[in-house]
Amino acid sequence: MKGGKVAAGIKSFFGSVGGVFKNFGTAVAKGDLFVKLSMLVMGAGYIRRKQIIKGILVTLLEAGVIAFTVLFAPQYVSKFGTLGTVVRESVFNMTTMKNEYNDYDNSFLILLMSLVSFVVWAAFLAFYIFNMISVYNLQKAAKEGKHINSFREDIQELLNKKFHITLLFLPVMGILLFTVVPLLVMILVAFTNYDQNHMPPGSLFTWTGLTNFINLFGGGGLTVTFGYAFVRVLAWTLVWAFFSTLTTYIGGILLSLLINNRKTKLPKMWRTLFIITIAVPQFVSLLLVKHFFADNGIFNSFCEAIGLTEALYNAGIISNMSIPFLTSPGWVHVMIILINIWVGVPYQMLIATGVLMNIPGEQLESARIDGATPRQIFRHITMPYMLFVTGPALVTDFVKNINNFNVIYLLTSTYVTTNQALANSQAKETDLLVTWLFTLTQDYYNYKMASAIGIVVFVICAVFTLVAFNRMIRGDREEMFR
Amino acid sequence: MRKFVALSLCLAVTASLAGCSPSSSSDSTGATGASGNADNTSAVDGGNTSGEIPTVNLTMWGAEEDQAVLQTMIDSFIENYKDVADITVQLGVESESTAKDTILTDIEAAADVFAFASDQLPDLVKAGALQSIDELDAAIQAYAGKSVADIESANVSSSVEAATYNDTLYAFPMSADNGFFLYYNSDVLSEEDVASWDNLLAAADAAGLKVGMTLASGWYNAGFFYGAGFTTGLNDDGTTSIDFNGEADYTGVEVVQAMLNISGNSAFLAVADGDMSNQFASGTLCAGISGTWDAEAAQQAFGEGYAATKLPTYTVAGDQVQQGSVAGFKLVGVNAYSENAGWAALLADWITNEENQALRFEQRQIGPSNINAAASDAVAANVAIAALAEQSAYGVVQLVGNNYWDPTATFGEIIAQGQLAVDDTAAIQEALDTMVTGVTAPVE
Amino acid sequence: MMKKKTIQTILHNLLLAVLALIWLVPIVWLLVTSFSAYTGVNATSFFPDEWSLNNYKNLLFSADTVAQFPNWFKNTFLIACASCIVSSAFVLMVAYAMSCMRFKMRKPIMNVAIILNLFPGFLSMIAVYFILKSFNLTNNHWGLVLVYSASSGLGYLIAKGFLDTVPVSLREAAYIDGASEARVFWKVVMPMSRPIIVYTVISSFLAPWMDFVFAKMILNSGISSMWTVAIGLYNMLDRSLINTYFSQFCAGGVLVSIPISILFVIMQKFYVEGITGGAVKG
Repeated sequence: MKGGKVAAGIKSFFGSVGGVFKNFGTAVAKGDLFVKLSMLVMGAGYIRRKQIIKGILVTLLEAGVIAFTVLFAPQYVSKFGTLGTVVRESVFNMTTMKNEYNDYDNSFLILLMSLVSFVVWAAFLAFYIFNMISVYNLQKAAKEGKHINSFREDIQELLNKKFHITLLFLPVMGILLFTVVPLLVMILVAFTNYDQNHMPPGSLFTWTGLTNFINLFGGGGLTVTFGYAFVRVLAWTLVWAFFSTLTTYIGGILLSLLINNRKTKLPKMWRTLFIITIAVPQFVSLLLVKHFFADNGIFNSFCEAIGLTEALYNAGIISNMSIPFLTSPGWVHVMIILINIWVGVPYQMLIATGVLMNIPGEQLESARIDGATPRQIFRHITMPYMLFVTGPALVTDFVKNINNFNVIYLLTSTYVTTNQALANSQAKETDLLVTWLFTLTQDYYNYKMASAIGIVVFVICAVFTLVAFNRMIRGDREEMFR
Repeated sequence: MRKFVALSLCLAVTASLAGCSPSSSSDSTGATGASGNADNTSAVDGGNTSGEIPTVNLTMWGAEEDQAVLQTMIDSFIENYKDVADITVQLGVESESTAKDTILTDIEAAADVFAFASDQLPDLVKAGALQSIDELDAAIQAYAGKSVADIESANVSSSVEAATYNDTLYAFPMSADNGFFLYYNSDVLSEEDVASWDNLLAAADAAGLKVGMTLASGWYNAGFFYGAGFTTGLNDDGTTSIDFNGEADYTGVEVVQAMLNISGNSAFLAVADGDMSNQFASGTLCAGISGTWDAEAAQQAFGEGYAATKLPTYTVAGDQVQQGSVAGFKLVGVNAYSENAGWAALLADWITNEENQALRFEQRQIGPSNINAAASDAVAANVAIAALAEQSAYGVVQLVGNNYWDPTATFGEIIAQGQLAVDDTAAIQEALDTMVTGVTAPVE
Repeated sequence: MMKKKTIQTILHNLLLAVLALIWLVPIVWLLVTSFSAYTGVNATSFFPDEWSLNNYKNLLFSADTVAQFPNWFKNTFLIACASCIVSSAFVLMVAYAMSCMRFKMRKPIMNVAIILNLFPGFLSMIAVYFILKSFNLTNNHWGLVLVYSASSGLGYLIAKGFLDTVPVSLREAAYIDGASEARVFWKVVMPMSRPIIVYTVISSFLAPWMDFVFAKMILNSGISSMWTVAIGLYNMLDRSLINTYFSQFCAGGVLVSIPISILFVIMQKFYVEGITGGAVKG
């Protein structure tokens, strides 16, 4: 059923795209002189229908894109196929005391700016097509003697029927420039040899096709242990994401129920106490906690003082006279999840409190009148409601935890693994994929492999999330609690 | 209609993109930049007599702790060259140990002159970030009155070796302090005690104290191998060569057995990388292996008994072998993308010359790499630097690639945790082989 | 009967007290260490052996090159305010459009947003850096504001989940009264969404105080007076500095937490008001 739904979605998507092109064809074929002129000067059609301001604005936009295309794009897009060929060469000039160098290529800038150009052009193309359709619609409206919006009315419309465009425009622009373009760049990097030996601006990198993926899956990649490290890291990433999401979610709900219980004295004070832990920036609190649990840290001193260390040592659980909270596999995994509960539960409590307060009162009231026990109310009203409202957030939390950099990095950046196979691939037991990628890019400048791994991770997450998410927010459930 | 808002903003975006293209392209094409400045630099070629002098803006990065002393040097630099150029220098903070990461992110945005630890040199050269100093020989001769050869002969040869890559000098040696030696408490340990690991550990055990060393780092633990005649090196393709699993004066297995004997001693404390000063402060140590940066911590911990010396000998296959170490240096490099490479080199030379190395020692107790500056009585009287100098006879310039660090750190950690049995030579050999495989893996 | 209830109440509050204690231990450690006369990491005792105000004095009044706290604080505060305004607006705008409006591209946009959220941001860090550089916004606080807020629209899901619970009937009544969509957004939905606004504002205000990775990359001129609190404090734990600056680091952490705590406390008032106002129950 899900598959059918997705297929239907894809079909309707292409159907509507096809429809757009059909309308565009009609507009070109049946448009009058000014509509046809709009193909060259985009505002012409509006000016003909007395939408002067709009016409001018549209034409200015067109001019802007043309200027962009002529002045900016060619220097990069023309080299997109090779990612540059001219290596930097410099000669010191004694007279000027400066280096003189050739007009060298920077592969990364070529890649980045070409993509920016492509995105601008794609957006403009879509705009162009819709513009033609809209100009033609104007022509039809004029012919049928319908009302043609004035500029003021257009703006009114953007605040009413088309308010979503006003709302979404800026956020979407931000996402395009700061998420989509960088993402596309990094996807393309996976098909190049951008690594320590090919780092712009000093040297060039170029396209290498699927080599990186073949290396990743066929062994012989970075090191022979790369595939092994990948599987290990992926497994821990999923385990971590599952447990960290589940524990903080449940912990948050329980804590919020505990605080909002009628038996609680001074609920506001308790809430504030827990919230204070959020107020301390994570890097401060986590680094502090790291020193707290260090092998020679204060908690170990404490355990030694009360004799716990000795007991564990005598029981053969630990091999040194300190408890390796953050330095030994197993211990560190449990500790990370526990510390994450400490970090995450107050956040979840905050959300849960907000949501619980919004449970429709009459539902609770009628349940109470019907004689339901608090436990029943929790199971049959509170929990389903929570799940419904926070279900999507649960999925995003899971994804956020897959990419949870701070907790892992701050707690274990000095962790040294004793697993040689992992070490040979610059990984360690506590690494999530994202921290591993961070090491690969920051310390080893291995952008191509990091990108290839990133894409693989991305595909895994995408499949999981889309399935889970479409279950959580199926359209029919969206209206359930209104 | 709906397009109005979309349109005006699109326009703004495209306009700003188009608007900034000329500036960004001129940034990356030096040719335009150089010709644009030709008018005000032409004065230089007329020599000092010409009335007009060029305006030069430089940026420099140095370590956090050195800012004050660097500012003094910069002021004297500006003063010294005020007749030939109107120089302004902006000083920024960048730790010598992380300079490479920041520089390689965007070389063009990095400072004209920067200080860095010598182990970063190969990566910086490969990325094209360092200006060849040999190429600037003429400029340095003309303005600083000395040649590159003079600079090379003024500094200890190992520091020049560390600043040289493929027979080209890429940086100015600034200090010879990035190595390690033994701090000890002379109230507890005698000079005979600190001569060998065996005595050291026995004496520490008797005193109920410990001897600390970082094993989980390829920087520290390589000392055992270097002492036994093993070597590391950097190949042309960026890979690292290493022979720890083979045979030098002794076999690799024998060295590891010696290390395991030390780490297995109850008086030995394996210290996490960078944690030595905490260990000194905690009062559990009577001796510890570290570098000059921990001098203060050691002094505070040992008080009157504060002393330092070369590393002890250790027992390999029944013989006493002097433990080796890594000879590390702080270097000052010139950004190859500097707008004013010549003046930048003069600044780099200035802050690393004899007087300023002496000044740096005076104010920050940093050991000079300059031979004359290091010969002063004050330097000889400094406990830590004297010990470092003593150890330098057994120091090795460690030029290795990036893949060296993780496998060797893990190997050290395995020894520190005692996961290998001393008599299980097969397992030791296998661990060595695995480590070597990781270190020598191709850089791709 | 009465007695049993009292015991239950006591146990209940005791449980809360124990939990709160666990949660507060590191915070208390932060606080007491910030008053320690010893500048390194104290590993032997929880409370400092010797108390001192020096850490705060050094941090606030004698700014050296390492600790330029007043500057950092000002920078971060301004960046946080700017990016908080932008991101809260973005998040709420997107959430409203996705929750309360119905249009053709809604579902596809939502799916795309989920997919985009999956991509590890660190991978594209270098691309973001060069985009900012081409706008000449590196080493610039506005550049950081953009990094923190430009893509914030992607984080709309929680807000949307909340807005989904606002009864449709309220909006419908407003439409019948002739209100435009923009008016409904401002006058009907927003006033009822205080809890989620508070949540959004707080979380976006926090980001600049927490981030040390992007900030370090973008403010890379080495001029420490331009840094944010996060870079500055993180830098204090550098291997060569930690023994001189650890207690100042703690003092800095405390000082940072104060405005954020105040924000929380003030917001909590609105928060509870928004809930007890009973608007939603109608």
